[in-house]
Amino acid sequence: MESSTDLPKFAVLQLSGCSGCEVSLLNSEEWINNFQLVYMPLVVTSNKIPNGVEVLLVTGGVRTDEDIHNLRKGRSRARKLIAVGTCALSGGVAQFKKNHIARESFLKASHRLRMPDMLPNAYPIDKFVEVDLYLPGCPPTPQLFMTALKDPEHAQIAPIVCQECGRKKLNDMRPKSITGSRSGVVLPDICLVNQGYVCLGTSTRGGCGALCTRPGHACVGCRGPANPYLNKEPKFVLDNLRRVFSRMTDIPAEEIDAALASPWLSLFLGQFTDYTQETDLPPRTKEKML
Amino acid sequence: MTTLTYPLSRIEGHARVVIDIHDNEVFRADFQAMEMRGFSHYVRGVPAEQITVIVPRICGVCSTAHQVASVKALEDVFGVVPPPLAEDIREVLLLGQLIQNQATSLFIFTMPDRVNASSLFELSRSEAGKARAFSLAQMALRIRKIGTDLISLAGGQFIHPIKTVIGGVTSGIPRVKADQLILTIEELLPVATDLLDIYWDLSMQMVDRIGSWGDDEPTHYLASTEANNYRLNSRRLRVMKPDGSEAPSFDPHEFEAYLQITESEYSYAGISSYLGHIMRANSLARVNLAESFGTPLADAYRERFVETFGKPAHAIMFFDLCRGIELVYALEKARQMLSGDLEHGETEIGYTPRDGTGFGLVEAPRGPLIHRYEVENGLIKSADFVIPTVHNMLAIRRALTVVAKRYVSHEGIDAELERAVGRVVRAFDPCIACATK
Ligand code: SF4
Ligand code: SF4
Ligand code: SF4
Repeated sequence: MESSTDLPKFAVLQLSGCSGCEVSLLNSEEWINNFQLVYMPLVVTSNKIPNGVEVLLVTGGVRTDEDIHNLRKGRSRARKLIAVGTCALSGGVAQFKKNHIARESFLKASHRLRMPDMLPNAYPIDKFVEVDLYLPGCPPTPQLFMTALKDPEHAQIAPIVCQECGRKKLNDMRPKSITGSRSGVVLPDICLVNQGYVCLGTSTRGGCGALCTRPGHACVGCRGPANPYLNKEPKFVLDNLRRVFSRMTDIPAEEIDAALASPWLSLFLGQFTDYTQETDLPPRTKEKML
Repeated sequence: MTTLTYPLSRIEGHARVVIDIHDNEVFRADFQAMEMRGFSHYVRGVPAEQITVIVPRICGVCSTAHQVASVKALEDVFGVVPPPLAEDIREVLLLGQLIQNQATSLFIFTMPDRVNASSLFELSRSEAGKARAFSLAQMALRIRKIGTDLISLAGGQFIHPIKTVIGGVTSGIPRVKADQLILTIEELLPVATDLLDIYWDLSMQMVDRIGSWGDDEPTHYLASTEANNYRLNSRRLRVMKPDGSEAPSFDPHEFEAYLQITESEYSYAGISSYLGHIMRANSLARVNLAESFGTPLADAYRERFVETFGKPAHAIMFFDLCRGIELVYALEKARQMLSGDLEHGETEIGYTPRDGTGFGLVEAPRGPLIHRYEVENGLIKSADFVIPTVHNMLAIRRALTVVAKRYVSHEGIDAELERAVGRVVRAFDPCIACATK
C-alpha cells in the first residue's frame, strides 16, 4: 500500500451508462493493492484524466457531444484503452436505432440551456477512438474486470456460455412450445432449452461463469456473440439459435423467431450485433475480445 | 455577474453545481444533471411483460429497486397478489440494495470528506486510516459486498437482478446459502458498527472544524417505511410536516394529488414538491418518520441520534449519519430474515395479463420510488418513473444557497466553498441516472 505511487496507473471514464459497470468493478477489492486508481469520478475527487495512464477503462455509450470530447481526451492520455460493457460496445440499452417513436419523443424532450447536447443516437465508442480490448457484459463480472486489468493476453475464456453452465443437453426431452417466464419451475442439471426456455448460451461468449443459467435463468446474451459471429450480421447468430432450437425442441419456427425478436432479448442480442451494420466501425477481432 | 461551476465527483452520474454571484451576493445556486437516460421514452411500445428486464438498466446503483417497482406495477395492472414468501424474498433483495448503497455512500462517497481526502483509498493510507488495526478500504468494501451477495442470492444476478417476476419470485433461498451469509454478517457486523463509530467521530470533528451541520431549516419529509416497520417493499407514502406532525398518508396511485413534478430548463432532472412545499426524502426522512427499527443495535444508534439531535432532526449532514444507522439495521434485519425459512412454500402464482394502468412502490435507498405503466394491447403505452432524487431537488438547491451564502462575502469567495458544495450534494446522495430516467 505504501508504495502505491509505483503501481500502474489506471483510470475509469464513465460516459452515458447506468454505473452498473463501475459497481461491478467495486465488487472486487483485489485491484486495491495492485493498481493505482488515478481517475474515476465515482470514487475519487478528480476532474481530469492525468497523463501517463497505463489502462483506461471506458464504460457507457457515447450519448452527448461532451462524451465525444472526453473520450478523445482520455484516449490521448492512456497507453491502453479497454471498452467495458454492452453500452460502450454497442451504445447499449440507450440506443434505439429502429424505434423512431422513441427516438423522436426522446429528442424532443432533451433540449436544455447550457447543457451538453444529446446526439441522435447512442454510439459504441470505437466509432470515435481506437480500442485495444473489448470487455463485453452487462455488466462484466468482477472476475472479468480483474482478468482485463491483470493479464488479458493469457486469459482462457470459455467460447460459449454452455461450456461453463454444466447443465446437460438431452436428446429425449423436446418441448413443444416456449415455457416463457410464467412457469417458474426449473429442473436442476438439465439444459434450459430442453425445458423450453429461450436460453442464448449456445451463441453467447462465455467468461461470466454462466452466472444466470446455473441457478436456472435463461441467458439473455449480455456477453455478446461468441467468436464465430463477431463482425457478422445479426442474422448469423439468429440462424445459429434457430438451428439449436430445431435440433433440440419441437417448438414451431415462428414461435422461436418471435421470441428472438423480442425487445427483451434484442436488448443484447440485436444491439450488440447491430454494430456490424455501422459501416464506419473498425472490425472487432477475436484477439481483441475478452 | 460571476458564475462558479463545480463539476462533482463521488456521486452517481454526471452533475454539477452552478452558483451565480452578483456584487458578492449569491444570486442563485443550482444543481444540474448533465445527462439524460430517457427510459420513459424508449420503453414505449415494449411488450409489458418484458419491461422488468429492461428498466433495471436505468441505474446500476439501484437496479433492484427499479426491478421490484416495475414488477409491482405490472402486478397492479394484472391484478396479481404474490405469495407472502415472495414478498419476504423481495424484502431481502431490497435490504441487500440498502446495504450496498449505504456502504457506498458512507465510505466511498462521504467518508473522505471528513478528513479532506480525495478517496477512501487515500483516507485508508492517511494517519486517520493507519491508526486502525485494519484497512478501512478493504473492510468497507467487504461490508458493501454483503449487500452484493444478498442481491445475488435473492435476485439471481449481482447487479441487474432477474429472480423477481410478475406473480412472485422464481425460487426460494436454500438453507445452506442463507447460513453461509449469516456467518459473514455475524463476522462483519461488529466491523460495521466500528466503522460507523469512526464515521460518527470523524463527522463530529469535521463539524467542529467547519462550524455547521449544514442547512437546518425545518422541511417536509417523505418516506414509505412505517413507524414501527421499516419494510422497504412498501405500500403507502407518508409525510412528516416541518413541526414533526404527520400529514395524511397516501397510496402510490394517488401520487399526483400530492407530488407536483415539473421539468427544469437548466437540468435534465425534474423537480418535485409536496403540494408546493420543499421536501426531503432518503435516510433522514425515514429516520424522522420512524419510531423504532425493531433490531437492537440500530435502535440503540437511533436513540443516540434522537437524544443528540432531536426528532425531527433537520440539518442535512444528518442524512449521512442516518445512512450509517440504516446500514446497521439492514445487516441485522437481513440476518434475522435469513434465519427464517425462505426455502419452502409457494414463491410464485400464475396470472393472466390484461390492459390497464398500474403503480408499483418501493422504498429505494434514496426514498420512495414509483413506477407507473399504462398497458394497451399488451404493450407499454406510457411509462412514468417517480424518482426519489427528484423529491430532493428543491432541498438540494436550498442547501446549496445556504452554503454559498456562508462562504461568499464582501471579502470574496472562501476556498472552502468547493469542498462545502461537495459535502452538501453528497449528503443527499443523488442519483443522476435515475433522476433523468
Ligand atoms: S453495460 Fe450494463 S451495467 Fe454497464 S453501464 Fe451499460 S447498462 Fe449499465
Ligand atoms: S443452452 Fe443455456 S442452459 Fe443449456 S447448456 Fe447452454 S447455457 Fe446452459
Ligand atoms: S449467463 Fe448470459 S446473460 Fe448471464 S451473465 Fe452470462 S452472458 Fe450474461
